[in-house]
Amino acid sequence: MNYDEPFQMDEELPGQDNVVIPSQSLSDDITPRYTDPTSSIYYDHQLIRSKLAHLRLDTGNNTTTEDESVDEVNKSGKNQYDEDIDDNLDLKLQSKLNQEYHAKYDTFDVLTQPLAPPENFAPVINKIYRSSFPQPNNFSFLKKLKLKSIFCLIPEEYPELQAEFLKHENIKLFQLGMSGNKEPFVKISSELITEAIKVVIDPANHPILIHCNRGKHRTGCLVGVLRRLQKWSLTIIFDEYRKFAAPKERPMDQQFIELYDETEIIKYAEENNLLPLAWE
Amino acid sequence: METSNVAIQQQVADNTSQDVSKGRKIVRPPTLRIIPPLNFCPVERQLYRSGQPSIINQSFLQQLNLKVILWLASEEPLDDFLEFCNDSNIKIEFVGLIDETYGHGQMNPWDSLNEGTIKKALELIVNKDNYPLLVCCGMGRHRTGTVIGCLRRLQGWNLASVSEEYRRFTGARGGRILVELLIESFDINSVSIDPERLPEWLK
Repeated sequence: MNYDEPFQMDEELPGQDNVVIPSQSLSDDITPRYTDPTSSIYYDHQLIRSKLAHLRLDTGNNTTTEDESVDEVNKSGKNQYDEDIDDNLDLKLQSKLNQEYHAKYDTFDVLTQPLAPPENFAPVINKIYRSSFPQPNNFSFLKKLKLKSIFCLIPEEYPELQAEFLKHENIKLFQLGMSGNKEPFVKISSELITEAIKVVIDPANHPILIHCNRGKHRTGCLVGVLRRLQKWSLTIIFDEYRKFAAPKERPMDQQFIELYDETEIIKYAEENNLLPLAWE
Repeated sequence: METSNVAIQQQVADNTSQDVSKGRKIVRPPTLRIIPPLNFCPVERQLYRSGQPSIINQSFLQQLNLKVILWLASEEPLDDFLEFCNDSNIKIEFVGLIDETYGHGQMNPWDSLNEGTIKKALELIVNKDNYPLLVCCGMGRHRTGTVIGCLRRLQGWNLASVSEEYRRFTGARGGRILVELLIESFDINSVSIDPERLPEWLK
């Protein structure tokens, strides 16, 4: 691990006024996609898009459909930046895993040993956990957490197999489509993180697992903001971020954590008696 | 008159005479900053890991309401730390000290923990009477990593995930193969467990 590189803050910081705030109400979009345990999972067609997707929708011709814009995000990520493969969920692989799983088992009541946690799994505080995208071999492990909800930070559609698993386990899925920080164009939106934190710190949703694709960058930013609500020193917050993001730490993510304006979330949390986040 | 008031306030806040002479105004109270110890991380509910806490970590440690600290280093902790634990009624369990009783031939601070020490540490961890519990050593890397790694095996984790977690806390110089061999070969059946006293998450 090289600790020098992530601190070369040569990149010019884009101004805050570049952020495009989605015009529709965010709180409407973040309602759980899966409400009725007896029926199948509902897919929310109004996924909150990342800033890049919004920019493309706003600046490009208006004929661009949402799905195309997501494909574009995937494509540009794969072609332009090596490290950004981490940001995109491999949907082909997921559908292959789905087939393999159903060929092998016809139920989710399978207990595989040994227990395999998803990569980058760790508790954050109390019953809030973090990890990378859970795979079929992590199902037995996830069951032991007795999760009530999952908060997913990817723009891609939640894969079928995992969705079935959540339905079977009666786990509520919150999904906030968000792309990672890719220098210099994409920026994680503060507004989206604020909406995410509102859900994550609500005890009604605990135990909750936060995940993106690799559990490094987007999840790291969200956890970093949670730590700020705990009033942790930035140095320690960055240290924790780097432990999970290694060896792909991004200076922009750390800048995001530092520059995030917590006024709104603190106001919300205080109104709803969600602060301080005490260790139970 | 007004200037001198500012100066006095500032002295209280900054405690440095240099700043007082410049006469800077205080615009807001100092922000409370919580500093967890090096390599701090929750392991399970009310079970935490870290390196040796220092005086700057005390307000954080108070938030954890610790009952017991499991000290794995071969050296005694610093006096500040002992005093803090004493004042806060936190019991320290020493299991890694170089000592005839636990030593079994362990000679150097850099030697790995031996199986007897790991067994003793785990038996404290599987007893919920000791919670909230902090497991720590000097840097929170290898000795803490060994014990937490063996705990993960006791929980039924696969070895690759145990290794991933261990290496997350080992810093730039990476993990030690000897520690991982120790985690792999540790006989988890040697740990005596009282089912009545098991923490919820271990059942």
